[in-house]
Amino acid sequence: MSNFIRREFLKFGAALPLAMRSLNLRAATSVKAPPKRVIFICNSLGFYEPNFFPKERGDLTSSRYLKEMAVREKMTVFQNFFHPGMETSNHDSEKSFLTGAFSPEATNFTNTISLDQILAREMGGDTRFPYLSFSIYDRGWGCSWNDRGVAIPPMHDERQIFERLFGEEDLSAKRKQIENDQQIVQSLYRDMEQIKKGGGDASKIDSYRAVISELEAQLKHEEFWLKTKKPEVLNTLSDDQEFAFSTKVRNLFELSKVAFQTDSTRVITLSLDWIYGAINVPGATGGWHTLSHHGGKADALNKLSRVESDIVKHLNQFLSELDQIEEGKRSLLDHTTVVIGSNFGDSSNHTCNNLPTIVAGGGYRHQAHTVLEKPTPLCNLYLELLHKHNVDLGSFGSSEKNLGLLRG
Amino acid sequence: MGSEVLAASLDEKAVELLESYCFDCHDTASQKGNLNMEELLKKDSFDGALMFENLLTGKMPPADKDQPDAEEKRELLQWLAGRQGKHVGKSFRRISRNEFVYSLNDLLGTDLDLAGQIPEDRGTNNFDSNRKIQLSREMLESYFSVADEILNQAFPDEGFPLEKSWVTNKVRDSHETYRIYHRPYQEGTLFSWTRANNGNSYSFFYDNFEPPVAGWYELTFEAAKVADFEDDMTLQVYAGKYYYADDRPQLQRLLGVISLENREVETRTIRAYLNPGENVSVHCFSRHNFRQQNPQQGIYIKQLKARGPVVDSWPPSSYKKIFEGLKIEAEQRKVQKASGFQTELKRIGGALTVSSFQKGMEKEKIQDGSNMTFWHTRFSPTVATPPHYVIFENPNRAVIEGLSFATWSGGNGNGLVKAYEIYFSDDGRTWGEKVMGGALDVRLANEQPIVFPKETRSRFIKFKVTDSVQLDGKSIASIGKLDVIADVPEQRKVSKVTVASDSPDDLENVLRTFAEKALSSKLSNEKLAPYFRAGLANLKKSGDFVQATKLGLKAILCSPGFLMAPGEHANPSYARAADLARSLWLSVPDDELLLLAAGDKLEGEVLQIQIQRMLKEQRSERMIRSFSDQWLNLQGLSKVTPSLKLYPLYDDLLNHYFPVETRKYLQHLVQENLPARNLIDSDFTFLNQRLAWHYGIEGVTGQNIRKVNFSDEVPRGGLLTMGSVLKVTTDGFDTSPILRGAWISKNIVGTPLSPPPESVPALEPEHGEAETLKEQIDQHKSNKTCYACHKSIDPYGFALESFDASGEWRERYKIKQAHKSTFQYSPKGYFKVGVPVDASGEIGADKFKNIFGLKKVLLSNERKIAYNFAKKFFEYARGGKPKLEQRLDLWDFLGEAEENVRLKNIVTEVLISALNEAKE
Repeated sequence: MSNFIRREFLKFGAALPLAMRSLNLRAATSVKAPPKRVIFICNSLGFYEPNFFPKERGDLTSSRYLKEMAVREKMTVFQNFFHPGMETSNHDSEKSFLTGAFSPEATNFTNTISLDQILAREMGGDTRFPYLSFSIYDRGWGCSWNDRGVAIPPMHDERQIFERLFGEEDLSAKRKQIENDQQIVQSLYRDMEQIKKGGGDASKIDSYRAVISELEAQLKHEEFWLKTKKPEVLNTLSDDQEFAFSTKVRNLFELSKVAFQTDSTRVITLSLDWIYGAINVPGATGGWHTLSHHGGKADALNKLSRVESDIVKHLNQFLSELDQIEEGKRSLLDHTTVVIGSNFGDSSNHTCNNLPTIVAGGGYRHQAHTVLEKPTPLCNLYLELLHKHNVDLGSFGSSEKNLGLLRG
Repeated sequence: MGSEVLAASLDEKAVELLESYCFDCHDTASQKGNLNMEELLKKDSFDGALMFENLLTGKMPPADKDQPDAEEKRELLQWLAGRQGKHVGKSFRRISRNEFVYSLNDLLGTDLDLAGQIPEDRGTNNFDSNRKIQLSREMLESYFSVADEILNQAFPDEGFPLEKSWVTNKVRDSHETYRIYHRPYQEGTLFSWTRANNGNSYSFFYDNFEPPVAGWYELTFEAAKVADFEDDMTLQVYAGKYYYADDRPQLQRLLGVISLENREVETRTIRAYLNPGENVSVHCFSRHNFRQQNPQQGIYIKQLKARGPVVDSWPPSSYKKIFEGLKIEAEQRKVQKASGFQTELKRIGGALTVSSFQKGMEKEKIQDGSNMTFWHTRFSPTVATPPHYVIFENPNRAVIEGLSFATWSGGNGNGLVKAYEIYFSDDGRTWGEKVMGGALDVRLANEQPIVFPKETRSRFIKFKVTDSVQLDGKSIASIGKLDVIADVPEQRKVSKVTVASDSPDDLENVLRTFAEKALSSKLSNEKLAPYFRAGLANLKKSGDFVQATKLGLKAILCSPGFLMAPGEHANPSYARAADLARSLWLSVPDDELLLLAAGDKLEGEVLQIQIQRMLKEQRSERMIRSFSDQWLNLQGLSKVTPSLKLYPLYDDLLNHYFPVETRKYLQHLVQENLPARNLIDSDFTFLNQRLAWHYGIEGVTGQNIRKVNFSDEVPRGGLLTMGSVLKVTTDGFDTSPILRGAWISKNIVGTPLSPPPESVPALEPEHGEAETLKEQIDQHKSNKTCYACHKSIDPYGFALESFDASGEWRERYKIKQAHKSTFQYSPKGYFKVGVPVDASGEIGADKFKNIFGLKKVLLSNERKIAYNFAKKFFEYARGGKPKLEQRLDLWDFLGEAEENVRLKNIVTEVLISALNEAKE
């Protein structure tokens, strides 16, 4: 990214100090188009299909879950996506949700780069956080995987995330910190030279060097952003512990919204990772995983639907709030491609065909409900999303071709 | 014979054997159990591990088929091992977050539990030591920042905060539905046991102590049991945020447990790391006195003494460790007594006036720190006319950010303020525009902050009541607490510690000594240079010796030699020392190991002796904990909370001791070198009063964990029947024999499980009334595809059906009953009794009636149990599963001599074989 473009961006950037921003906004927004954003959400236990997919083709109000959605005209539900090589799976299929890598349960499995990380290279350079990755609890991995197939540990603690994004910093301490770390990085490079010269394990050093050079780039990035004050944001996180799970989901959506709104990042993944133990949502308490293996039993299905409805409720709120935020002539939602999906089609059977998939926002001319003729690699949609964001890699994961499913 | 010829001849022989013993069922034509060996063996990617295991442990060929003789079996096993080929995976791994944090604490003399600040790093691997786990930039960043935090605790730039001491016997107010369970008694308070309405262990908060800074504190309780029953009473000490009346109080962080056995006041101290904003609370538990109002029995707490932040010595040992031989200059550090309760208003030298007051309910009552006493506007003999207000005076013009308001608790609620407005004035006469206004919650007496839009230095601040609860139609107002929120930074006194040196040579020495410990090696000048250069540059720039050292230390702690294992070691003994310390202590070698390594003497008998010594050291508890948490999946223990409707006696104390039992037990088995059969059964375990009650074992008094022997009729003993295991294998509601069976199969018996085949509906049994659980699960039997695997999974779980999701023994199932409106905790729970448990099953030809029978079946092959343990420990210690060749060695070792199935011998064998292999 050249300095010129970065300056251009800064004219728009919501991350500028408030006073400066108000001066510049009027002049700049009319010229500069609002940036594009993307968010990928993986609901790792899927959705109960009969409640999720519209019963009548093309009519979202015929879906029990989706009929309540406020922005139905800005979303498309896709039917018949799958990930080749993952027709059935244990929960490892979650690792491939956003990568499309084959056989995630194989003992020698190595993942590949996830879609958000490719997009972050293209879209992430202009914001304080090139990408953000969230999950429900500390599991160490979520949707995002780097170009070496290594999991990017998601953040899960709402308060820490808020602090990281918007908390006040002691700038001089931070500057000193960065300088020190830069010195340490230099000493580590010298150290690695030394070890290599001494006949140390080259593959070990190379793998470490790769991480260190990423860290070096990150330090540079952070140094650049020291010049810009973090946006001032009201903390609207909920503290309700009665429904801790529900609160967590709500808060992560809220943080995603505010992160986009303040242009703190343009790429987010949100992993609604499954929990084995019991969770609490309005109207139901139960082991989420146990409920997902409902086996068609009415009681389990009833509770599971309440859990899933609760997730959809928060999604609905997220989408409609994005749509209420004006940006230029349109809304923030129109500038944000929201993809909601899962690695499971039917988690009761652990099968991965007919993956529940929604694309919302992004300014596309939405089709409400698109039923694909035959089972289609989800990576075709991913490939199309790459194209929509000016990335042309030829292919992605198991993609065959851009099917042109998103218009406009 | 050339190797190719050998391989070819082996192949030929192997095919012959396969044809005679395996292909009858598992060839392309039959594919019994979905297994087409003939086809699979053609593929290089098929590693044959399952075949190998089944053949080795005698599961296959089945007992009713022709068996290979010992020589044939060996040939086939060796052929499979050879076929798997040489190891191609990575030869190194990163050190785990736990290893990182323990190492830093040991090196720097700190004691900080910061692993939780580094993301979970095990992923879906069995152990966090797995070589497949790679560092990401985000992960490395968190290592960097944790290193900073520990270094800064060891050598704080700003010095060490003053140590303070507090004495308090004042219990903070809590809601009227809870405060009835304690009462004033002698010089302090007598507490009964109560749980919150949602079932949490309700805890009462102490006032007049709040940690001003993060650090280690000593909390000393003077307390006694006030009861005649034999059991000890349990004083559970928690930290958390004070709450007043929340109907659903949060669980607090358990700091420690004090067991009180007699009526005399005893003095007991708990050491705890506390953060600012945390309060200390107590939960006084005994099963004999649930919710005694105005209690006669319970725990009497005379007072709580607190002091801190404490340091381990002065100057702190971190300085002595790192700057050994240099002159350390430490300012004197005194203990300062904290003054008693003080409002912020008093701290800023302010005062207040009120519009009117009723006698006995004066303005002072809103400044006395209690919600029970309150200020009330005058209502007798005449009712004061509105407006009602409180005016604060701020004579020193302190910065005031807002007000802190709390209603008074108890009473009928008359007069509680519902709405207010705020005005500022500089002379107390002319008031400006309304600054703000708002509503107040009258239900809760929690402090409600009223934050001004902008902080103020105004001399007068008026809190005007605009609406209040008026039960009798008269305009009145009452307030429990009202105070200013002032921004007066407390003058924190610190004692600085410095090192009297600015010499580069000293710096080099300090860094060398540290690096040699951290990296387990002898360092040449060239090797030390990168770290030294970093430190030196800083020394030149800052002139601060300690700061420069910190930078150098961080460079060492973030170096590939430290973070990647194996590191770079000057001789094989150094490498061994590092390896052993990592496996057994999750840390770096100590001086004794380093001394032996310096002379390259860590081999043969010396090595054996060192392993024994290391296992005896307290630090080996980390290994037991890490290994058992991962091997037995106990990491997930707290993620599962048993339903209080079904298991009302379950509590956080039980959850706290569950894994303690398991760790103590395993540690005992290893240290005492007991045979592997103890993993399955024994006539003892490690219990305290809480666990013994849960298990129905009598005669255990007091909460200290100790070895308890019991008779044969007790189903406990061994891992399977421990509460930890029984709890973690459920989702907190129903037990699932499938999951428990899979757990035993995978973790104890060692049969690897394949994922279920495509499009088979999963079974998740429910303990309803209509059909018995067995009938539901027996659907597995009716489907051949399922049955092939589930016949050797589910039955293990059947035997454990005698234990509910909280690990308690049961004869019958419980069926959950609905409760009216909001859940209200009841020790009786909400259930009715259902059908009897059927704990019988059969595995292969072995039938069993119950858990006792299952244990016998499992014990019939102790070598197999030992073999599984050996494989698990191997995987933990070596960062990957053993290759088939190595498994064969382990199996042979276990068969060589009777004492080889003893756990310490197994652990030692695995460690030494690893070191020998590394040497090759």
